[in-house]
Amino acid sequence: MSTTSIRVNGKAPAAPAVGAGIQTPVLAPPVWVDENPSLRDITDDIARPLEARPGKGWYICFGIAFAALLNLGGMVSYLFAKGIGIWGLNNSVGWAFDITNFVFWVGIGHAGTLISAILLLFRQQWRTSINRSAEAMTIFAVMCAGLFPAIHMGRPWDAFFIFPYFPNQRGPLWVNFRSPLVWDVFAISTYLTISLVFWYLGMIPDLATLRDRALGGIKKFAFRLLSLGWNGSQRTWARYEIVSLVLAGLATPLVLSVHSIVSMDFATSLLPGWHTTIFPPYFVAGAIYSGFGMVLTLLIITRSTMNLQRYITLRHLDKMAKVTMLTGMIVSYAYLTEFFAAWYGGNLYERYHFINRATGPYAWCFYLMVLCNVVTPQLLWTKKARTNVTFLFIVSIMVNIGMWFERFVIIVVSLHRAFLPSGWGMFYPTIFDIGILVGSFGLFFTCFLLFIRVLPMIAMWEIKGVVGHGAHKMALSSDEEEVTVNA
Amino acid sequence: MQTENADAMKQHFTSVENSMNHSGEGNGAKGHCKSPKEHLVQIGGPDVPAYWKSMEELENGPRYKGEFPGGLPSADARQETTRRDFLAAMGFTLAAAGLAGCRAPVQNAIPLLVGSDEIIPGVANFYATTCRGCASSCSLLVKQRDGRPIKIEGNAESTIFGGGTCATGQATVLSLYDDERLHGPLWHGKPASWQEIDQHIADTLRASEGSKREIVLLSGTTNSPSTRRIITEWQKRYPNFRHVEYDAVSLSAMRAANAQSFGRAVVPHYAFDKARVIVGLEADFLGTWLSPVEFARQYAANRKPEGVPALHVQFESGMSVTGSNADVRVAVPPSQLGLVVVALLRRIARKAGTPPVAGTQDPIEAKKLDAVADELWKHRGESLVVSGSNDISIQLVVNALNSALGNIGKTIDLVQPSMQRSGDDAAMADLVAKLQRGEVHTLMMHGVNPAYDYPEPEQFLAGLEKVALSISFSDRRDETSSHAHVICPDHHFLEAWGDAEPVESHFSLAQPLIAPLFETRAAQESLLKWVGHGETDYYNYLREFWSTDIFPRQKETKNFDAFWERSLQDGVVAVPPRPTGAMPKDIMQKFQADGKAAVDKIFSEAAAHGSTTGDHFEVHCYETVALRDGRHANNPWLQELPDPITKVTWGNYAAIAPSVAKKLNLSDGDVVKLTAGKRQLELPVFIQPGQDTRTIAVALGYGRSQVGRAGQNVGVNAYPLTSIQGEYRRYFAGNATFEKTGRTEKIGTTQTHFSMEGRPIVLETSLEELHKAAEPEEETVPTLWTERLHGEHAWGMAIDMNSCTGCSACVVACQAENNVPVVGKDQIERIRIMHWIRIDRYYSGTEEEPVSVHQPMMCQHCQNAPCETVCPVLATTTSSEGLNQQVYNRCIGTRYCANNCPYKVRRFNWYNYTENPQFDFNMESPLGRMVLNPDVAVRSRGVMEKCSLCVQRIQLAKNTALQGERELADGEIQTACQQSCPTQAIVFGDLKDPNSRVSQMQRNQRRYKVLDELGTRPNVSYLKKVRNPLETA
Repeated sequence: MSTTSIRVNGKAPAAPAVGAGIQTPVLAPPVWVDENPSLRDITDDIARPLEARPGKGWYICFGIAFAALLNLGGMVSYLFAKGIGIWGLNNSVGWAFDITNFVFWVGIGHAGTLISAILLLFRQQWRTSINRSAEAMTIFAVMCAGLFPAIHMGRPWDAFFIFPYFPNQRGPLWVNFRSPLVWDVFAISTYLTISLVFWYLGMIPDLATLRDRALGGIKKFAFRLLSLGWNGSQRTWARYEIVSLVLAGLATPLVLSVHSIVSMDFATSLLPGWHTTIFPPYFVAGAIYSGFGMVLTLLIITRSTMNLQRYITLRHLDKMAKVTMLTGMIVSYAYLTEFFAAWYGGNLYERYHFINRATGPYAWCFYLMVLCNVVTPQLLWTKKARTNVTFLFIVSIMVNIGMWFERFVIIVVSLHRAFLPSGWGMFYPTIFDIGILVGSFGLFFTCFLLFIRVLPMIAMWEIKGVVGHGAHKMALSSDEEEVTVNA
Repeated sequence: MQTENADAMKQHFTSVENSMNHSGEGNGAKGHCKSPKEHLVQIGGPDVPAYWKSMEELENGPRYKGEFPGGLPSADARQETTRRDFLAAMGFTLAAAGLAGCRAPVQNAIPLLVGSDEIIPGVANFYATTCRGCASSCSLLVKQRDGRPIKIEGNAESTIFGGGTCATGQATVLSLYDDERLHGPLWHGKPASWQEIDQHIADTLRASEGSKREIVLLSGTTNSPSTRRIITEWQKRYPNFRHVEYDAVSLSAMRAANAQSFGRAVVPHYAFDKARVIVGLEADFLGTWLSPVEFARQYAANRKPEGVPALHVQFESGMSVTGSNADVRVAVPPSQLGLVVVALLRRIARKAGTPPVAGTQDPIEAKKLDAVADELWKHRGESLVVSGSNDISIQLVVNALNSALGNIGKTIDLVQPSMQRSGDDAAMADLVAKLQRGEVHTLMMHGVNPAYDYPEPEQFLAGLEKVALSISFSDRRDETSSHAHVICPDHHFLEAWGDAEPVESHFSLAQPLIAPLFETRAAQESLLKWVGHGETDYYNYLREFWSTDIFPRQKETKNFDAFWERSLQDGVVAVPPRPTGAMPKDIMQKFQADGKAAVDKIFSEAAAHGSTTGDHFEVHCYETVALRDGRHANNPWLQELPDPITKVTWGNYAAIAPSVAKKLNLSDGDVVKLTAGKRQLELPVFIQPGQDTRTIAVALGYGRSQVGRAGQNVGVNAYPLTSIQGEYRRYFAGNATFEKTGRTEKIGTTQTHFSMEGRPIVLETSLEELHKAAEPEEETVPTLWTERLHGEHAWGMAIDMNSCTGCSACVVACQAENNVPVVGKDQIERIRIMHWIRIDRYYSGTEEEPVSVHQPMMCQHCQNAPCETVCPVLATTTSSEGLNQQVYNRCIGTRYCANNCPYKVRRFNWYNYTENPQFDFNMESPLGRMVLNPDVAVRSRGVMEKCSLCVQRIQLAKNTALQGERELADGEIQTACQQSCPTQAIVFGDLKDPNSRVSQMQRNQRRYKVLDELGTRPNVSYLKKVRNPLETA
């Protein structure tokens, strides 16, 4: 927590008069919004994109994103018509862009829940400016992620086979509970459900605000429906906050479990380069790293295009950069550990794999990954770097690229030279591999751009707790309560 | 079972024809229309006895006559016609009149009105026949299912070939269903009827009588005794008739050398199994040379490490299948090959104390030659030197060498020679000259394609213009037949009767497996018709020939019918050899030719090529295992068969040595312009370890310009690089240069990495180690899985890598048995070959002298299968009998199993390979799909597939045993790969039976499992390769 942001009222909290019981030291309300806007200003500012016509920038972005989405639709239709032979996959490399994209998007989806759930439990108030959009990002990223397992199948029309469904007409057929792909189905669908519920629940007070502001018509009707009769009473708020806490508690293990399970797709296999016990924590760190990278990318764009600099401040960016740096270093450590284990373990195949990773035909991918994921986070040690918006934007893009290549390296480089040298082969992407990757970004950004047009992208009710109006106390997020209880 | 078949089949087809004729006629003509062939119908014929029910009936005939006993019920009492009746009657009349005008459309389905007790739907029959894929004439057993031949197997009754086949032979069944075959005869390129054509030809032939111009039958090696008899009929009838035999890849020089050396112009019959030392000189006898199935069998039997394996030394320029199996392989350019033989002869002469051989030079390290000569001398009379060179001097010196070693009559049989190659280069050259001079009136061409494979096709074609009548028996429009006046397409051999004599007095019969698919006619029948022979039915002629010529030579049975039926059933007959006449055996073992002249010739030849240094190379042309001389170029199975050495499919290339590539900065796929004399070829480079540094090897058989969709313009035709030197064809060209064109071409190879990277994949052992060590230490990898309990059986396989030569017959056999689709060059480049069994080939040692190993690799049927645990939908499971089975219906195609398979043997259907115009191979055309095995599902796109250990064969054998209420016997089930293997390297069986062959092999001292340390517990074991290198101290 940045010290500059804490304004201390009264006496220093460092020396509470224990046992005096008269004077309760009270912490200043946290301030995470610049320029001291009034509560009304906040509501106006955040509701503006929803009520005004969008600017040219939005239309250009949406046009590009939607074109990419159309491209995705076309390419996926062609894929279904012809078969996945249109991709560059082959007998040696059975997964490439498809599962790389899947893991990449699942990883992106990690920041949202981490911010909403774990930071909520850790009482990190700076999350209030970014949690809503991060959660939205999570949902859209998981949607993109979910696309790939479905379309990567040889027979996507039978995709429902991987759900345990009952009763089924296929006799006593059941899914294979030993297969990590089935675990994925459970993990991802649970994660999506919880994220969606959490996101929606968090929006209800804001939806009620929007309902109250709406002039009528469909908008009013829709917000009325969505706000579930929110009346803002004391009781409502009390229950609401308890539910938030419970959901946060439920979601927290998911942040760790989803990518752990995704990593088991690889870790439980035999393949050198995949068969590694370090994968679950390594993947979780990588996911948070990439998630924060993507949040940074999105927020740096939106704060400037939507004029939200006062809500998403440089201090927020600084915080996110710190998380990025930390997780980036965990990831770097994991890379080192992998190489160490390959050398120290003495396994012939694994040792070859890691030599090949660094010197083989895909070595450039590996070095790009090292550049983006090992070198780049090291640039964030200085505060100057962490508060330079342009620099941070470049870093965030590097993080995204690096993390995509990390998955590509893990998947393709491991597969292309496995146990029997007779089965070795190279993977070269086709136009459809690249087109569908681009298309998934189209899907993601189309959803995100629509989101910022129709729903409040900052949690109004939450941010009002951190604007520095002393009267407003937050049960969940202020440090004050703790002190009071102690007293 | 097969005894009556010959007749029964014929009858069956006739009856089918009859019923087809009737089906269109309608109005029940069957009962009245008496076909002239109706007596052939066995069942339901006219002689069915009439049964009577009572004495009354017997005397007065049947009680009721007519259709309705008791008469029709009385008509309506009112006789008047009502309006309703009128309308009804009118409606009926109109409808009836209308319907009568419509004929039921004639469907392609053939009604089997008269069933045969031979053909039971769903039950396969096997008939013996003779392969015509090449002139080796292997004995086959062909599987016929529902009237269609669908799979070729070797005939184990044959004492020569012993039940194996080669890749080409396996694939010939697909050529039957090639829809590029002509559907009927052509007269000047237009369809005509056989009668018209016969009339025209008879007229033309009559006109030639008395003329000095010749009538010539130009054919490939003809070892069918009955056909040879027909040819003598022609010689009798037309004094100006001549028969010329022409092989694109000929052994003409060897025949001439034997005539000079031993007085008999034959190709000897070799016994590789009797030789303790085998020296091969540019003879790929395990892959393509003369009779590879037979030789591979003899060779493998002779190299069992359990006994004393024979030593094999190979001198060759390009890496061949044979060279890759040799204990010692020495790279020698073709022009220096003669020097090697001379150097060996010099050493042997020194040891034998015979007159010394001229010269002192050794083309290769003297040490090696010394060691080889020592071994040869040590095993006098038990050694064998063979050369595939078509240079008579070399063949003469080889004969001298074999004679000096006393091998004639021991490992080389001239008394009962091989009849598998009898082409005569000189006669062919003479024919071309005559053609050009216009001295040929009629040219009949059977099984030849000189416009493609003659060194100077322009000369041949120019001569062809001058004949009055040119007749081709080709089954398609090819480079030659498209220039012929008439094409009289011959049957595919699976549609035809025939016989063969691959080795003197070893006969084999061929019978049709299916009625001719098209309006084709046996060439023999055409020849009989045109020569005006009384018997124009070749079947009758053949039978007659056998009764007069072959039947009297055997003593076993007095009854010809019984002899015929047994011969037809067995497919093979061996009779005592023909008397050698004035040529006593001992004379035939003495070398009588002028060896000195031959040696001198070799020296001068070698010296002439001695200048091939620096930028100049020699080009060595060779046959590939798949396409051979090019006649099978339109067979997609063969085009897609990876070359056993280079693993390249769909095309040829210039194989160069790695050092040459380095020097000239060439890499795989760089297109070079190869210039040899006045001929130029542009083809991609392939870097081949072990390739002689002074030689470039180019495969023959590619670059067909007219053959059909699959083979058209695949690769480059290398025949123009061959030449005629004196009387013999030379398959190498000296003084060749090549330059980069700057273009690159993709080479469709199925294995890109050739080093084992020090991994324990193919394990080797030495002979001493093998004889020293006792039981292998039993090492069990700990496992987390529970022990799998097997049901009644536990199927397993053992593969002896010491026997496997890499010939790839198993690959095509598996493709035929399991409906494995052809995917084409583009997909191969994308590493998407579908073969369920592949042969991995690894090199060790140096690039100049690599040691190669071949490892057949298919699903290992792991008991703790990595594929099985990861499949989300349980589409792959292990059966109670130990088979790892793939459930296509359940598979959704996540490919996770393939990623987790350490052996990379799973194959994914990236596209629909059936009925997809994008893959215009056999599974696209309705005719091509007739080759599909009905017992094996054709896979749709998006599912994974892999080796099933021929589960359909297991199931069939189990059912048969169950119906017979008996136990399954060991060896009763043979997988397709096992059946086709000429060296019996693959053994399948029940691991639960401790006495089964597979169990015994899996207990063998040499056995190991690939990647066993992963804990996969495969049911497939391998036996280590045993190295027995020649010590060259």
